[in-house]
Amino acid sequence: MNGLLLYLLCFSILVSGILAVSLRNLLAAVASAGLASLFAAVCYIFLGAPDVAMTEASIGSGLSVLIFLYAVRRTSAARE
Amino acid sequence: MGEIILCAAAALIFFGIVLGVLRLILGRAAVDRIAAVDMLTVMSITLIALYAHFVGRAVYLDVALVYGALSFLAVLATARYLERGF
Repeated sequence: MNGLLLYLLCFSILVSGILAVSLRNLLAAVASAGLASLFAAVCYIFLGAPDVAMTEASIGSGLSVLIFLYAVRRTSAARE
Repeated sequence: MGEIILCAAAALIFFGIVLGVLRLILGRAAVDRIAAVDMLTVMSITLIALYAHFVGRAVYLDVALVYGALSFLAVLATARYLERGF
């Protein structure tokens, strides 16, 4: 059960990374990038590193999504 | 009895993650994908809590707590972005 869930999480990281690169909509791409780091944090939990997982969840999934959304908002306002 | 419930919960989380990733791949609009990301966040929090019970270490529950607060913040920021009022 443990290995199967770990394989599923790794596959989900792969899918989210590919979608974050290949999506044309910037909002969906930012959400996919946040999802990749979110699944990476769950993988760290499974590998036995809860402090690394907490840092990854707070910075990768929380802060970087905020900063990316702010950047997309500012650059699209400047283009218009 | 407890083992059966834990295995059923793990199987339900497994299918939830599979369906969420399918919605993420096949999603038509950006809102569909954001809803899928939110659902997968909840699935991950449940998975961490289940694993904390499975292994028997309460330290992992702190990670689930931090994770829930911050993912809620991220989804809130995304919703504010969709309303053009960031």
